Amino acid sequence: MAKNVLLVDDSSTMRKIVTRSLRQAGLDFGDIFEAGDGLEALEVLEKEAVDIVLSDINMPNMNGIEFLREKSGRDGIKDIPVFMISTETGDDIIGEAKSLGAVGALKKPFTPDKVNEVLGPFM
Amino acid sequence: MGDFSDIIPKVIDATKEIFTGMVMMDVDQEGEPSNELGVIKDSITGMVGLAGTHKGMLAVHFPNELALAITTSFLGMDVNEINEDVQDAVGEIANMLGGNVKTLLTDRGYDIQLSLPSTISGEEYTFLADSDLQQIVIPFTAPAGNFYVELELEP
Repeated sequence: MAKNVLLVDDSSTMRKIVTRSLRQAGLDFGDIFEAGDGLEALEVLEKEAVDIVLSDINMPNMNGIEFLREKSGRDGIKDIPVFMISTETGDDIIGEAKSLGAVGALKKPFTPDKVNEVLGPFM
Repeated sequence: MGDFSDIIPKVIDATKEIFTGMVMMDVDQEGEPSNELGVIKDSITGMVGLAGTHKGMLAVHFPNELALAITTSFLGMDVNEINEDVQDAVGEIANMLGGNVKTLLTDRGYDIQLSLPSTISGEEYTFLADSDLQQIVIPFTAPAGNFYVELELEP
């Protein structure tokens, strides 16, 4: 069954690029929702049927780490898997993200093949 | 050239990887890196600040024509004027490069935080480094023009 995805990134350009990469990766995606920061992402998750979240880390208002922390305390959405998409893939920041429930990370820049490799097992 | 000249080849590789992998545009490094950049004309600059144990900045300077070509390729749609999409694309390239530089510096034991990316543009402007920062300017060529990657970092 097609998976609905939520893209969380303050860059509209990046959201368009990730959307293109998801479509090119050949995976079975359904609806692709968008949010510009963690606060907007929480609102989308409360309203829409989202199966997978792809989130940037470095964002205004509520960054990716704060988003994970807030989401982990909300019943109904806390178990939705989150992948971090970021230029920051150091062990410290990704370790913190994983400790808060992130299931994987995709480093920018990435290719559709890399998207397939990272997300494929979860589809 | 300062004591971080050893990371120049990695910054060059990261720049090529970003352009090839995400902008879908091949670029080459051409010309010797220097430690000064003259007056910038009809261009747009994307930058991210570096803070933490060492302050600094990573900037990319694109002539307008190249910035339009990059954004067109990035988004897969025609872009004919410097607008929010161009600012966003240029800022995102700076952001990706900044992330790579942060990783390189973290490997050297630095503790660096990145700012959100920002852009400036204009007919003519000058980019001056703080006197206490080391500056490296790396020239690149692309199909629609030449551009520069600039790194300023506290020694």
